[in-house]
This record gives sequence, structure tokens and C-alpha cells, in this order.
Amino acid sequence: MRFSEILNLVRINLYQNRFKVLLTSIGIIVGAATIVCVIAIGKGGQADVADQFRNLNAGALDISYEQSQNTSAGFPFSTGNSSSGRPSMSSGSGSFVPSSDKSGSQSSKRSSNSGERSSRSSSGMPNSGAMSGMPFGDSSDRKNTKKITLSTDDMDNITSSVAGLSEATITYTTKQNVYGGNIEESESCTVAGTLSDYAQLSNLSMMFGDYLSDSDNDNKAKVCVLGYSAAKKIFGSPEQAYDSLVYIDDRPYTVGGVLAQQGSVEAGISADDAIFIPYATGIKYLTGSDISPTITVIAQDADNVEKVAEDVKNVLAESYPNAEFTVTDAGSKMKAANESNRTLTLMLVAMASIVFVIGGIGIMNVLFVSVKERTEEIGILKAIGGSKRDILLEFMLEACCISIIGGILGVAVSFALAPVISGFSIRMEMSVTGAVLALGFSLATGTLFGFYPAWKASRLVPVEALSNE
Amino acid sequence: MPSQEIISMHNVCKSYKMGSQRLSVLKNIDFTVKKGEFTAILGPSGSGKSTLMNIIGCMDNLDSGLYELNSIPIHSTKEKELVKIRNHEIGFIFQNYHLIPTYNVMQNIIMPLLMRGHDRKTAERECREVISMLGLSDRLSHKPSELSGGQRQRVAIARALCSKPSLLLADEPTGALDQKSGTEVLGLFKKLHEMGNTIVMITHDMNVAKWAERTVNIVDGQIQ
Repeated sequence: MRFSEILNLVRINLYQNRFKVLLTSIGIIVGAATIVCVIAIGKGGQADVADQFRNLNAGALDISYEQSQNTSAGFPFSTGNSSSGRPSMSSGSGSFVPSSDKSGSQSSKRSSNSGERSSRSSSGMPNSGAMSGMPFGDSSDRKNTKKITLSTDDMDNITSSVAGLSEATITYTTKQNVYGGNIEESESCTVAGTLSDYAQLSNLSMMFGDYLSDSDNDNKAKVCVLGYSAAKKIFGSPEQAYDSLVYIDDRPYTVGGVLAQQGSVEAGISADDAIFIPYATGIKYLTGSDISPTITVIAQDADNVEKVAEDVKNVLAESYPNAEFTVTDAGSKMKAANESNRTLTLMLVAMASIVFVIGGIGIMNVLFVSVKERTEEIGILKAIGGSKRDILLEFMLEACCISIIGGILGVAVSFALAPVISGFSIRMEMSVTGAVLALGFSLATGTLFGFYPAWKASRLVPVEALSNE
Repeated sequence: MPSQEIISMHNVCKSYKMGSQRLSVLKNIDFTVKKGEFTAILGPSGSGKSTLMNIIGCMDNLDSGLYELNSIPIHSTKEKELVKIRNHEIGFIFQNYHLIPTYNVMQNIIMPLLMRGHDRKTAERECREVISMLGLSDRLSHKPSELSGGQRQRVAIARALCSKPSLLLADEPTGALDQKSGTEVLGLFKKLHEMGNTIVMITHDMNVAKWAERTVNIVDGQIQ
């Protein structure tokens, strides 16, 4: 029998039993809808992670220095090598700490350490260090006592000494009072001092104008680039912001560009709300040297980040002994987030597969009943010359068609459900892949579970089938 | 002459297992039907006539003996070949019509030709003459459930005829019909016989058997 004619018979049978087909395919409908939704949610999760880490490269390493809290709370020693007056100050105040009394005439490095002790003691809680589990005298306790300001020189040192780096930049942020445009009373805003390559490194795209240039930095020009939300907040719209003046710490800056909307980010500077100015401009007019910059380097090979991080630490350790720098590996954070998202998606896909198996068993049961009901018909077909192949194909194709119909309806249901699920703040990224996969699963279920009943039907003996009343 | 014999059976035996015992249904059947004959196999219920029909129709295997249908040795033919033989050589007409309820009249009639590998249009064209002869032209889109018993049997006859078989095999063709419809069907059989068709009709009714040119009695699994 021709395949097209078998298909035609299948069509007739399915149409004649359309209600039964619909009921049979419910399991498949649910399974297919679940698969599509699960994949959409999984993809949505991945997109969320991608958005949150949009400003980061996979091989990015952020290097920053954080001075010990207790020290900064006390005397803000501006340099590691304190002037000779400082140790005496610390020894003076060291009366709170008996052990520091003996350190008065030691070398400048040691003096600075005792300075830290005095600063701790100046908080009025002489034993606070011991109480918080950080006993004085421990070697680790002497770390990060000095005020270190990472500079472009450090960045150059890292790029020249560490192998396997592709790019590097340095940034800092500061809170400044800003007004201009629609804002009459100044508001506190994040201002970021960056170099010209920051936009490219952080995957920032421009809506209007250009990002800061090297000459802006060299000339310490009073120009700025506004984040999308900042531009909207200050000027009402990004269009109006471009080429206008914004006042940062009472000095006028020309808006040379506005960034496109970036969305919320997991790490780094939230670009939408920030104002970007040239690195040197900020130091000259806003912060002076009182900044805590972050050097960002990009490892050429994202899988080699750990080695690069170690090398960076070693290079910095040579320049700054007794200082511990924080090296944040953005790539592995992103990887971990994606990994957990993938695990969740796989778990949900496994659940959807179970739904499919249940749907498949439903199809198998209905087909078995159908074979029983249609035993006489099978007998007739065999009596008039229907081969085993014809019968097997007819029943198999019926099962496959029921599954495909279920799959198509399931995909349709999932697309109808998507806005409802999204209403619960669950991001869904509907995809053709998901729909194709659901249809594939449906077809596989129909083929798998339809085979046995079809095979049984094809094996019926015509005389017995015909005598079945 | 052997070449004129459509059916040739020698010493055909058939038994079934009933619990622990074997029940012999056909005992050493010797039976021949010549080309163009209209033969009635007459026998009471339980005489083995349906089993004989199943063996003649290649739907059941024989235990022993020889059976040739149109010179094809059925006794040594595999099931795969028997399927083709059923399709090409035999036209079945059943007591309960055995039409497929979900298909319309036309679809039921052309099924044997579709099974043979014809496409629908060719099959419909080939069946047109038979359909017209049986007066079914205005019923083609009807479902079997929408037809009377006589009409259903005419559809079954049309299905059997359209594949132009060597043998028309009818099992109690009037068993489910009223007298008028039964007579119509038997008249049709007579006409088909006159047209040269070979017909074997199984019946328990002497009055039906009378329509055949030859009657073979079967009693207790043996031809009398």
C-alpha cells in the first residue's frame, strides 16, 4: 500500500475519532507545553545572567585594595611611608595599648604598623581587636594597614609583567553633588573616573555622542558621558542631555555622550545611573588622591583566569609588601551563575520528560484499546490483502499524528501561557529551539509508545480478528 | 483438465486444540472447483464449512493435505505471499458485510486496490464500472451505517469484485438480510456467474444453495 494512501486512511481515522484524539493527546499537550515553558524559563534565566554580567568580560579580573576598616576609621594615613611625625603620634596615643609603647623609635615601616594599632585604640575600644578575633601581632593583621592608591603606573606594571593579558583599565567611583537640566537642587550621584577604553571593556554602547577620549583625559577636560537613567533623571530624556551642561561639584561639564540603556548589573559600576568623566579630570577637580581605584584586566584565555589572578597578586606583592589586594574573578561568577541556571533547567527538563512518559503511557493505553476496538477492521484489512507493514504503519502513524497534534497544541498552549507566567515576574525567552524540541519529544513519545500496540495489531491472525465480535 | 481448476484440494485435514483434546474439524477433504463454476457448500452449523471457507480463502493454515488455488500451492506458501494471494485471487463477501465503519462506500470499495499499491484516483476509476453495475453510484459518500443491509452487501460485493479476483468467496451472503434483499443478492450472484466469475458460496440454507449450479454437502467435516 502506498505511504500516501496509508496517511490518507490515518487522516480519515483521526478525523472520525477527533474527540478521542484530543483526549488522548492531553498528556502530550501538557508535556510539550511544559518543555517549551521550561526551556523558555531556562533561557530567560540565562539571559538574566547575561544581562547582569553584561558589563563584564568572561576573562575579567577586578583588582582593588581595601584598607583595613579600623585604620581608616582612625587616622587617614595618606601614604605607606608615613612621615616621622606620625609614629610619634601613634606612640603617643599608644598609651591605650601597652604593647605599642615599645615601638616608638622603630623603622618607618614598623612605625606605620604601630600607627594602625594606635588608630584601633583611638576608637576607644582598646581590646576590640582581640575581642573580634583578630589578635595584634599576627602577621596577617599587619596587612592592608597602609593607604594604597592604585594608579595607572600599577596598571602598566601589571600589563608589562603579567603574561596572558589582553587589555587593562583603571576606574574609580565617587559620590558627588550634581545638578543641571531639570534638577535645580543638587543630588548625590555616582561619578566614575574612567579611561577611554572603559566603554569597550565593559561592553557599553552609546546612544548619542562618543565615549571619553584619551585627549579628554590628557587635557583633564570637563566632559562627561551620562548613563541612560542619569540622563533621563537630569534632563528628562537622553536626547536633551546630549551636548548640555551638567554641574558636578559646582563645575560645569559638557555632556559628550549618553549611553544606551544597559539594565541592572551584578558587578561593577551600574552604568545606567552613573556619570562618567575622564580619570585625570576627576582626580584634579573632584577627589584629589583620595580614591580607591579598581584595575580591571582581561585575561586572553578565560580558562586561564586563576593563573593570571595569581600572577597579578605576585606582581602587586612586589610593589606593596604586606598589602593584600582583592582580585575578583568576574568570569567564574558568571560561570557559576550560568551553571546553577543550567542545573535548574536540566531538572525542569527532567520533570517535563516524566510528563512525556506519562503522556506516552496514556497514548499506549488508548492505542491498545483502539486495537481491541478495531480488531474486526484489522481482520478485514488483512482479509482483503493488507500486509503486516500496512497495519503496523497505519497504527504507528496514528500514534505519531496524535503525538504531533498534541505537540503542536502544547506549543500553542505554552505560547498562550507565556504572558501569564511572565506576569509572575518570571522571565521567559520563547524560542524556536524549545518548540522544535517539544515537537521532537512528542514525536519520539508517539513512536516509542505507539509501536507496541501497532505491532500487536499487525500480528493479528485474520480469522481470529474477523471472528472477534 | 487441471488448468481449469481454480480450487484443488486433496486430503485436507484441519483440527483445533480444545483444552487438552484435539478436535478434528475437516477430515480428508477432496474438493475441486472449476473456473466459472458457481458452487454452494451446504452444511449445518458445526459441520466445518466456515473452517473450509477460511482455508479456501487462505486465512487459515491446513494441517495436512494439498491445496492449490489457481495452480498456486497454498499449502506450502508463506503468510507474506498469502497476503498477496488474498488480495489478487480472492474476493471475500461476508455474512456481516465486514465494511470499515469509518470509511465511506467508495473508500471501502477501493481498499483492495489501495492495498495492491494503486493510488486512489486509479482505484476509483477502475471501480467505476462495478459501482455502476451494482447501483451504488449515488451512495458513494455514505457511511455503511447509513445504508440498508442489502445495500451494505452490495458494497461488500463491489469491494470483492473490483480487484477482479479469480474466485468470489461468499460466507452466508444472505444470512443477515431479509428475504427480498437476499433474493436480490442471490440474483446478483447468478448474474456474476453468467459473466464468467467463479463463485464459492457457503450456506446452511438449502433454498440459498439452490441458486448455485452445483452444491457440495459437508457434514461433520467430510464432503458427502
